[in-house]
Amino acid sequence: MSDLYLLWRNLFRRKLRTFLMMLAIFVAFVIYGVLGSIHYAFQHGVDQAADNRLVVTNKITFIQPLPFAYVSKVAAVKGVKTVTYSSWFGGYYQDARNQIGTFAVDPESYMEVFRDTLRIDPAARDTFIHDRTTMLVGEAIATKYGWKPGDRIPINSNIFTNKADGSHTWELTVAGIAYPKTDSANTSFILFQHENFNESKTFGKDTVGWMTLETDSADLNDKVATAIDDMFANSTAETNTQSEKAFGKAFLAQLGNIALIITLVVGAAFATILMIVGNTMVMAVRERTKEIAVLKTLGFPSWRIWRQVLGESLLLSLLGGVPGLVLAGLLVTVLAKSASSAIPGLALTMPVMGLGLGFMVLLGLITGFLPAWTALRLNIVTALGRL
Amino acid sequence: MTGQTLIHLQDVSKRFVKGKDTITIFDHLGLTIPAGDFVAVMGPSGSGKTTLLNLLGGIDQPTEGAITFDGARVDTLTEGQLARWRAHNVGFIFQFYNLMPTLSAARNVELPLLLTAFGRSERKRRVEAALSLVGLAERANHYPREMSGGQQQRVAIARALISDPKLLLCDEPTGDLDRSTADEILAMLQLLNREMGKTIVMVTHDPEAAKYARRTLHLDKGRFTEREMVA
Amino acid sequence: MRALNEIAVVTTICIKSIPQRFWTSLSTVVAVSLVVTVLLAFLAMAAGFQQTLRGTGAKDMAIMLRAGAQAELNSGIVRNQARLIEEAPGVLKGPDGKPLVSPELYVIVDGIKKSTLPADGDLKKAPRANVTLRGLGPAGIAVRPGLKIVEGRQFNPGTNELLVGRALQKDFVGFNLGDTVKLGNSSWVVVGVFELGGSVFESELWADTPVVQDLFHRQNVFQSIRARLTGPDALGALKDYVANDPQLKLDVTTEAEYYAQQASRTSDLIQKLGWPLAIAMAFGALAGALNTMYSSVAARAQEIATLRCIGFSGTSSFLGTLAESLVLSLAGGVVGALFTWVAFDGLTGSTLSGASFSQIVFTFHLTPAVALQGIVLALVVGFIGGVLPAWRAARIPIVEAYGTP
Repeated sequence: MSDLYLLWRNLFRRKLRTFLMMLAIFVAFVIYGVLGSIHYAFQHGVDQAADNRLVVTNKITFIQPLPFAYVSKVAAVKGVKTVTYSSWFGGYYQDARNQIGTFAVDPESYMEVFRDTLRIDPAARDTFIHDRTTMLVGEAIATKYGWKPGDRIPINSNIFTNKADGSHTWELTVAGIAYPKTDSANTSFILFQHENFNESKTFGKDTVGWMTLETDSADLNDKVATAIDDMFANSTAETNTQSEKAFGKAFLAQLGNIALIITLVVGAAFATILMIVGNTMVMAVRERTKEIAVLKTLGFPSWRIWRQVLGESLLLSLLGGVPGLVLAGLLVTVLAKSASSAIPGLALTMPVMGLGLGFMVLLGLITGFLPAWTALRLNIVTALGRL
Repeated sequence: MTGQTLIHLQDVSKRFVKGKDTITIFDHLGLTIPAGDFVAVMGPSGSGKTTLLNLLGGIDQPTEGAITFDGARVDTLTEGQLARWRAHNVGFIFQFYNLMPTLSAARNVELPLLLTAFGRSERKRRVEAALSLVGLAERANHYPREMSGGQQQRVAIARALISDPKLLLCDEPTGDLDRSTADEILAMLQLLNREMGKTIVMVTHDPEAAKYARRTLHLDKGRFTEREMVA
Repeated sequence: MRALNEIAVVTTICIKSIPQRFWTSLSTVVAVSLVVTVLLAFLAMAAGFQQTLRGTGAKDMAIMLRAGAQAELNSGIVRNQARLIEEAPGVLKGPDGKPLVSPELYVIVDGIKKSTLPADGDLKKAPRANVTLRGLGPAGIAVRPGLKIVEGRQFNPGTNELLVGRALQKDFVGFNLGDTVKLGNSSWVVVGVFELGGSVFESELWADTPVVQDLFHRQNVFQSIRARLTGPDALGALKDYVANDPQLKLDVTTEAEYYAQQASRTSDLIQKLGWPLAIAMAFGALAGALNTMYSSVAARAQEIATLRCIGFSGTSSFLGTLAESLVLSLAGGVVGALFTWVAFDGLTGSTLSGASFSQIVFTFHLTPAVALQGIVLALVVGFIGGVLPAWRAARIPIVEAYGTP
């Protein structure tokens, strides 16, 4: 027998009550784990953007196009290593509700700029560069629709009309699959050739949606950005050049304050269990006043009893919280599959788990503090009614 | 077979402050208990029996005066030192047994050994020995709620003995038991006194119980009224 | 009658005993109220969002987009098509005899939300949010009868003058009357502020179509055509007309339907987030309620047994305990609803609408129907949390009346 055994017996003295407390804690940590992971994925996706990548958009907004001629002008700016460009296609598959992030890109430069984000095997790479009617499909999309290299897939646009037949459909052959190289890389996309797109659309010819460029070094970012924006100042399409990070952050901020909402919900969940568990611990220890007094009479030092009570609330917190995090991990795994396009890189990561464990310890300490203090200060004579 | 002085109370006073009033329980009380004695303390409610036991057991401190145990002062010890002292020198037996409801008989008996450095096997040996001494070796795995009052009190006695203290303090140990069970328990205490040389101080209301002691002290309003009454 | 009296007596005893377990009872009330608050905040957000978009659509207004475009943003319409619609059947004519048809241009520009303004007020560092700039045709005002210009005046055709929606003006930096605003390469002057029934339009900027076309290089291109209908039945006629003309590859719907569809996606999403969260949290609160009620039953065991002893039925103990639980959870539900009302009702939020790709400003709206859902959830928690302990109360053996030490 050890102190741990005593603690365990005390914790499960009233099994139903302990089970209910564990359930409450469990639920709070499921909520924490899932929402925390979502928050982390959003935040981390933005943080992971390469430091030396800049995005050049039309100053009006990023959905206004830029003239194609800008690409070579930007490439000539000192400090720019590689430039690539993309256009939004408004793509969907079969049903207008099955929207897919579809971009018309320049294959070679695009794969170069995103070499650290995407893994593309050499054969696919080669086909995509040389065959105009091919597309590169992100893993998430390929898995969702079961597409394999060589498949011919009709992709529709809700914006553009195909010059060839006046329809909104482009038939594209899968050149290969793009796999993620990092945890947070989004693979919910289709890429196809800018050249193909530019020649087959009925309007907006010789424009690109935006440009992504790599600078020689992140230190040059500000200089390069200013140089580009100055170059096009007072032209028909002024530009706004910012780091990929800033661009991502601004886009996220448009959705509303996700961080605040998540903090409030998790805060409410934790406040609930703090109330319930804290109260129950006080009650549980009050019930045992006499037993604690007996232990002290037998010669158990106060600090040891204090440690026991605190250990009990800590153990309760962990027994409820750890399974909660485990379930959250499973839920997040499931969610990650269905929400891969909305929240790329969704996973229960170490920082979220670590913080969760921290919260469990904190919860255990806070809920155990008052009863432990009561136990520490407990006077044998009064507690046993021996006056 | 009483010998040298085990406990000595010198000019012990105990006062409580209750609201505006100060209640005096003892005023310059003196008492000497030799090692190997078995003292019954009787007296009406409020006479200070329980407070006396509290002071002897080191769970309460005198307002004034000195308490020596085995030649060393205990009234000057800090709370932590007192706890250690109790663990080594005193065994407590209560009226309502005060066993841990969540622990089996054997675990209850083992409890005080958590305060010692004994290894697992030594602890096991001692628990078995203590339980057979009180005749409950068979009941080692029963929980208090599964045992009769007499059995629970015997577990409590085993618990009090386990760390081999010199002094046993009993607070109405038979107050909750029927006559024949009470006699069994008292006989057991007597045996512990006679055969094992345990010094016992027992507070009781029951004159029959007091008969098992070597002598009886009558306490009234904080004073001993009759000194000796050898059984 | 006797049974009712019994129940009343036991219920009174139970409820009167709540203060004896003040902290435990309070923790249940607070836990339930937090659950209700979380649920209602989400539902109020969804309701507010939906109300904003629902309020936008008029039933007697047809909106036409390029076939398959789904949203104004993706659409493209040429001048000739707009002209053909002016001759379409079912289109209402104004007092001057001209058809009430407004070909509109839809450009996304950016602005700065007051909520994301950096502490030092440096506008350059502030993140940009998408804002709709709508170019209105000559009949653009006339097709929207509910329009009220609350400050300033209507823009003059052919000038760089802006009308600003009330919600946008409140939420974004620098759209006060008389302000000069730079949108893209061009400067605009705010000459008026409008309200339109709390609709999405109040999150927009309005200007004269030809000027917008000119300054944003969109000559002769529109995104949508709006037309006032002679009546709700006129939509069919207009649809037939469009279907029979090969030059008009347009989708025709009523504006009400168009916005309702846009609303349902986002508000569905908000509700789909709110309910599972609230239900998960309700399990936590349920644990608290069960705990409180079990301890309540334990504390009153002797009392209940004594009542049983003198002839009260087990049913009355059951119902009394259940009533206590319901009272606690109801209190939690009401507190939660009131808190949501105080903290969230009327709060404005804005989000990026998926369909329009620009900010829609909406107001959290705690409708009585929404509040009722919160209270119902609270009572469900109270009911489940009360039933099991009540069952135990009903089965307390009468011998407990004698008590044990």
